[in-house]
Amino acid sequence: MNDYIRKIISGKRKVGSKHVHSFGRRAILIFLPLAIFILLGAHPVRGETLTADDILNKVDDLYRGTSSYGMMTMEVVTAHWKRTLSLEFWSKGKDKSLIRILSPLKEKGTATLRAGNEIWNYLPKVNRVIKLPSSMMSASWMGSHFTNDDLVKESRFTDDYSCQITFQGPRKGENIIELSCIPKPDAPVVWGKVAIDVRHSDYLPIVMHYYDEKLRPARDMTFSQFKKMSGRTLPAVLTLVPIDKPQEKTVVIYDKITFDLSLNDDVFSIRNLQK
Amino acid sequence: MGLLRISWRNLWRNRRRTAITMAAVALNAIILITTYSLMDGMLRQTVLNATELVTGEAQIHSPGYLSDRSIYKTLENPQAILQTLREQSISAAPRAYGYGLVSRGTKSAGALFWGVQPEREKTTFDLPTHLAEGSFLSPNPQKGIVLGKKLARSLNARLGAEIVLLVQAADGSLGNELFTVTGILKSVGEGIDRNAAIIHLEDYRHLFVLPAGVHEIAVNTGGRVSLDKLSAILPRLVPDSEVKTWRQLLPALSDMLQLSGASMSLFGAIFFAAAGLGVMNTMLMTTYERSHEFGLLKALGTSPWRIVRDVAFEAWLMAAVSTVFAVILGVAATLALQEYGLDTSALAGETTIAGVVFDPVWRAALSIEAVAAPVVIMWIVCVLAALYPAAMSARLDPVKSMHRV
Repeated sequence: MNDYIRKIISGKRKVGSKHVHSFGRRAILIFLPLAIFILLGAHPVRGETLTADDILNKVDDLYRGTSSYGMMTMEVVTAHWKRTLSLEFWSKGKDKSLIRILSPLKEKGTATLRAGNEIWNYLPKVNRVIKLPSSMMSASWMGSHFTNDDLVKESRFTDDYSCQITFQGPRKGENIIELSCIPKPDAPVVWGKVAIDVRHSDYLPIVMHYYDEKLRPARDMTFSQFKKMSGRTLPAVLTLVPIDKPQEKTVVIYDKITFDLSLNDDVFSIRNLQK
Repeated sequence: MGLLRISWRNLWRNRRRTAITMAAVALNAIILITTYSLMDGMLRQTVLNATELVTGEAQIHSPGYLSDRSIYKTLENPQAILQTLREQSISAAPRAYGYGLVSRGTKSAGALFWGVQPEREKTTFDLPTHLAEGSFLSPNPQKGIVLGKKLARSLNARLGAEIVLLVQAADGSLGNELFTVTGILKSVGEGIDRNAAIIHLEDYRHLFVLPAGVHEIAVNTGGRVSLDKLSAILPRLVPDSEVKTWRQLLPALSDMLQLSGASMSLFGAIFFAAAGLGVMNTMLMTTYERSHEFGLLKALGTSPWRIVRDVAFEAWLMAAVSTVFAVILGVAATLALQEYGLDTSALAGETTIAGVVFDPVWRAALSIEAVAAPVVIMWIVCVLAALYPAAMSARLDPVKSMHRV
């Protein structure tokens, strides 16, 4: 968090606002269970030839109007510390989610509510709810390598990016399709390019490479441990590595996930946030 | 002492012309004296604002801290460093920094937290008294917080308001605490106004889980030790550190001061040239009128050198008399400007240049240099300006010049 806040304060980084959307950040949303569900729920029709946009749109379409609940473990490794958090999460639709920290004890009960473009944090120690300022959107979420904006993204990425299939065939022992996405002119995004490798067999993502405006690699997100959860095949582990600090990483492990529950909107209220 | 008497008499042959020239020379000198004093006052005030308020004359950091401001790049054992400095009679204050979030109600903003020792800040710097409202932190950690002016405004925080602090601690955990606003700073500079949140060092250690070490030791001797000496001895006293003087820490300000020095010289040159031309004109006229006289002197065997000397002496005498008045009036004006100052608030309000606040009341600073330099240079300019008419007179042909009469 320090890095990001410092950059914001010093003005070296674009200040995030609700208008700044990016497929990159939004793609990270994947780490939210529902986004995962989308990607994983994309059942390819055998024998059908899909274009890049088809693949990504399927993902988007499946993403909308679903709900999820689950538990996950987040491991954050930096040059100076390593910590593991247990998290419980709920999500509904494309713009509501709630994440609560179960452990460690110091942060137990700390919760993040995302409602539309706003992020609220509940701090049990001081019993206060604080709204994240829009200038903090690109700051780290809970000390991880994910940003707050990664949680908030909701526009379709085919709206912001032109995607092409740039490679098909075996790579690292897997038959893959590589999609390269370049932001459209005037698209309000922060990444210069996003390259996604998906499995040819079921279009599940394997790795996403993010590039900055100067097309230098910025961060890699790797998907692994594909397994069946709640009736769907999902990558249970997501690993985010910042390219400039290869010794650091954030690993998200889905311990349990359930889809399509009936969740009341009250779950995503500030009142519930404080419980 | 015939020379003085003759010159004096010659000067007053045409009273009006000499008086006007002397008035012009005196006015130029008065303007230069007061302007230099005003500039000097501003420069001194600026340096004081820059160093006494918060920056200090020099700062000690862990190597590389200034480039990335990492919370992990600390000076270990600040107490030992402070003790060493105290033995050299160097006053200093330790500070620890960290970024985070401050929030009140639905308002929140990013902030740079300063962990300070209030007593040391008070004895070393002016910041603890530079408050628009309230008071500085108490000597004991009581979860009080002093906010920058704009930060307080953006949080809509008044004195006594409860503020939530949310930070990423050094161990990666989330630090959060409730603090109470005890003071709000006056405008200091854009950076501090917008994001400074000052807390007690002990509160800082608790919040950021940083049990030891600080990020900065700011040194302020109030001018007792020169910058050169400080930058020479500090690295020896504190090994494994990076020492920077305020000129390096505030390069924009340092450059600005040098630039204003240069522009003052240019400004002065114009005034000296104007005064010099006035003197040259007067001397040309007087020598022209007296060409028959110089011709006669030469016919009587006066050497050209002596004529040059006489004319140059007249010019100096004129300059000397003018500058006596100039010094009296200039010093009086400067003393008035030093006492009452120019209130520029109606024109500019509170001005910030290179992150340093300028007092809206602009005061002059009287110094020997600011008075002596214009006087001496004015003398030199007047004498130089008289050399041309003097040389003309010295080269006169005695026969021709006397014939003309």
